[in-house]
Amino acid sequence: MMPWLPQVGRVMLLMCLATVVRAAEQPPAARNVYSGQGLVLHAQTRTPDQMVAFYTGRGFPAAMLEPISHVCFLTVSMRHTRQDVVWLEPSRWRLLDAEGNSLNRLGRDFWNRVWETMQAPAAHRATFGWTQLPESRDLQPGEPVGGNITLVPPTGAFTLEAHFATGPDKKGPEIVGRIEGLICHAQSTDKTRESEP
Amino acid sequence: MCVFTATAAEVPPGLMARDGAPAPALRLSNMEGKVTDLRDLRGQWVMVHFWATWCGPCRKEMPTLQSLVKLLPTQRLRILLVNTAETDDEVFAFLGLVAPDLDTLMDRDGKVTEQWQPRGLPSSFLIDPDGRQRYLALGGRDWATQPYPAFLRQITQPPAVNGPGRAP
Repeated sequence: MMPWLPQVGRVMLLMCLATVVRAAEQPPAARNVYSGQGLVLHAQTRTPDQMVAFYTGRGFPAAMLEPISHVCFLTVSMRHTRQDVVWLEPSRWRLLDAEGNSLNRLGRDFWNRVWETMQAPAAHRATFGWTQLPESRDLQPGEPVGGNITLVPPTGAFTLEAHFATGPDKKGPEIVGRIEGLICHAQSTDKTRESEP
Repeated sequence: MCVFTATAAEVPPGLMARDGAPAPALRLSNMEGKVTDLRDLRGQWVMVHFWATWCGPCRKEMPTLQSLVKLLPTQRLRILLVNTAETDDEVFAFLGLVAPDLDTLMDRDGKVTEQWQPRGLPSSFLIDPDGRQRYLALGGRDWATQPYPAFLRQITQPPAVNGPGRAP
């Protein structure tokens, strides 16, 4: 086999192939995850189509889907195994673009104004609210939490820098978890919903 | 006045003791229009469980609640499911597949859920026979697996009645 390749070359080629095979067998490096100091934080961006499909499935009217399709949704979940309280407070988190500039998170106040303006149905407002990450929560040991945060879509990759106070009085050591390389997907181009009632 | 007997119970992981504040009002109907009022259930323990079909942990937990119903008689623990802000169609399709033996109250506009202020969905409040909040389950779990059934049996155990000739 491969008589044109010298013996040494064949050995080197086999070694290289073995390395490639080993690499392929390794579990992929955890992406979009921060793990440390007894806390695991996951963050995953969602495409506008994913989010529109989700809320369409919940019966949201087209008027509510419109603003949803124009923002970046970041689904966050976390759990901690510490013995103390960890404070979930997204208002203290930083969202940074590639140049280190802060990006605007769109909190509950923003969405409440949007829904109020369009007189959105109470049931859909409630559902939307329960799918968002709480604005403040004293996470007890082992308590899971998950939900979305929303932001104005940045043009490139961005970083989530999540700050957590600890302890019942927030005077424990602060935990900072960073997840880099997050990318918001392009604005939805789905036109079909424009014909919905 | 009922005697709260759960103070000695060891609280299992994921459950948080509450301060005994009165439970908020809860008066809702199921999909057939039958109304249930929490006030009418004084004298027995009640689990008030908030859920939604879109919530992953809720979907996982629901069959375990159906199993729990078989482990603990209704007289010991009444389980009130409260669906948060969904339609009959969504709920009927989900429960029919996942937990067909269970019924749910419908919080159609989500306002009752908001008044209870659960920490997220799913959330389960354990209400004592006096209508006070005693425990809150943090997130979802398998209710049919120990230590949860044992804990629930312990806290819902009726007060012992001393017969003639027995020591008080």
